[in-house]
Amino acid sequence: MAVIEYAGGKVNIDDSGYLVNIDDWNEQVACALAEREGVDELTKERMDILKFIREYYKKYNFFPILNAVCKNVHQPKNCINEKFMDPLTAWKLAGLPQPGEDIINIVKYGQTPT
Amino acid sequence: MAKFTAKPKDLIQIDFKNPKTGWMDTPVEIREHMFCHPAKAKELETVGFPNIHEWRPQDENWNLPEGWKETVLNGIKERLQKYRSFHVFMDICVRCGACADKCHFYLGTGDPKNMPVLRAELLRSIYRKYFTASGKILGKTAGARELTEDVLKEIWYYYYQCTECRRCSVFCPYGIDQAEITMIGRELTNLLGLQLGWIGGPVANCYMKGNHLGLEPHTIKSNIEMMLDDIETITGIRINPTFNRKGAEILFVTPSGDLFAMPGIYTAMGYLMLFHELGLDYTWSTYASEGGNFGFFSSNEMAKRLNSKIYAEAKRLGVKWVLGGECGHMWRVLHQYMDTWNGPADFLEVPKSPITGTVFDNAKSAKMTHISEFTADLIKHGKLKLDKSRNDHLKVTFHDSCNTARGMGMFEEPRYIIKNVCNHFYEMPENTIREKTFCCGSGTGLNASENMELRMRGGLPRANAVKYVHEQHGVNMLANVCAIDRATLSASMDYWVPGVGVAGISELVGNALVMEGEKERTADLRGETLPGKEGAE
Repeated sequence: MAVIEYAGGKVNIDDSGYLVNIDDWNEQVACALAEREGVDELTKERMDILKFIREYYKKYNFFPILNAVCKNVHQPKNCINEKFMDPLTAWKLAGLPQPGEDIINIVKYGQTPT
Repeated sequence: MAKFTAKPKDLIQIDFKNPKTGWMDTPVEIREHMFCHPAKAKELETVGFPNIHEWRPQDENWNLPEGWKETVLNGIKERLQKYRSFHVFMDICVRCGACADKCHFYLGTGDPKNMPVLRAELLRSIYRKYFTASGKILGKTAGARELTEDVLKEIWYYYYQCTECRRCSVFCPYGIDQAEITMIGRELTNLLGLQLGWIGGPVANCYMKGNHLGLEPHTIKSNIEMMLDDIETITGIRINPTFNRKGAEILFVTPSGDLFAMPGIYTAMGYLMLFHELGLDYTWSTYASEGGNFGFFSSNEMAKRLNSKIYAEAKRLGVKWVLGGECGHMWRVLHQYMDTWNGPADFLEVPKSPITGTVFDNAKSAKMTHISEFTADLIKHGKLKLDKSRNDHLKVTFHDSCNTARGMGMFEEPRYIIKNVCNHFYEMPENTIREKTFCCGSGTGLNASENMELRMRGGLPRANAVKYVHEQHGVNMLANVCAIDRATLSASMDYWVPGVGVAGISELVGNALVMEGEKERTADLRGETLPGKEGAE
């Protein structure tokens, strides 16, 4: 467990850098997480992706289909790979909780069991 | 764990020299990137698996439960009594070696313990020691050995380096089915809580939520809605499928990867388009929302429990029969186990195509028909309007999935479909297709990420055959009828044969299918602009 500071205060992250409490997230927190992950500035395009992933997760308890993210935020296909390199980074910056190993396989590598 | 970084040029340097010591005297070396991580306790608790404990394959001490040896020996005894096949396969091998070089894992690793004969010997030696007179008296001379912790580790390591593909069985003069031996070996390890995360997690998800991914009902619907949006963009047609609808004629069940992953979602778009065009009276289910069965890779009992959802849902909805999507091991389970485990499904009718009137007698007992059988029959009867030229950007070859090929004997239907929806089709070499098909290299729950070296090594023989048609004919698309293939071959193609994509056959059908009222197609199901249609929008 660690604490990171952002413009508006402090939040707890776990040892792997995931937000401990999903509701602690706001745009400033995302920027602080991004800095920690070595992701450059969170442009509006990147922030839109994060917000969509976040809302989808809260509603559906799952990561959205990658194509659907890009379509919904009106960005070209592969937007996540282009903007973040790795969907798991997007997961983390969106403030979602630390996923299990199976979800990492699914999100990071696009590898599903069947 | 260090990242797997070996390059193809290095990995292909395979050492086929046998160790200097005999196999019993050569200790197992558990190497990273060759095994999957253990399951989490929570996952195993969900389904009530026994002897849950903390352990790591690379550790010296596996924290085995007290009395583990008796557990294994009793487990063997019970299974010898229960499964005649297992007992026979323990006895009859003459070690002729016909199977030795038929295994993709042996060809990709050069490790003699990946020869099917030797993989089986790992367990046979225990059988001989404790269950045969010659083994009890003569010991090593009779090929028998004590069950020790190191022996158990060896069995674990190599039984999770077998994908139960059954290619070796095709060449065995006795017809020994290594898959059945591996299944028993895995059951024994499961008794000790030595389960993989990539199997235990999907099993728990499937048990609790109906599918391996753990997609909840509203998520399944949402994902399909997203596909419908894309179909509308491409064809101008809005499709409205139903979910959990009582009174539908047909229940459709497919692997959950088709509802989330790429390229699986394009396969699912193909299903949706085909069923819409036919006006098929069918429904999706959010309860029986998994065709695959990872229980099959842990124990027969678990497989039976997961499989039971399909008949239960068919009964609840009152459908006449069940149509199944593109999957591999799903069909081994449905074709060879389902009826015995959870049948007879006497509340269902023998599948009959409402479009052509064809009765699928081959599915008389299980009451489930494969989408490729269904589609091939439609084409044969001229019920589909197809424009093959929409797949002209693809040069296609077909990978027979182990289980649809060797498990259910379905060789012709997929090829017939491809030839009717594509102009460019090329077969891989004869000894790598049909009943002699090579495994994708990552089946039976071995398609995790931490065992990538094993996957790439096991995937080499298949990739090598693809490379041949890629170089000879410019093949750029590897078609298949299996969700694990769609998930795994993408990785092995990127590694061994870059430039070759992976697609389910129903995606190719969706591309070619001329739908009533559709707008001019300018893109394929992936949204890629069709050749000659640039600037058409």
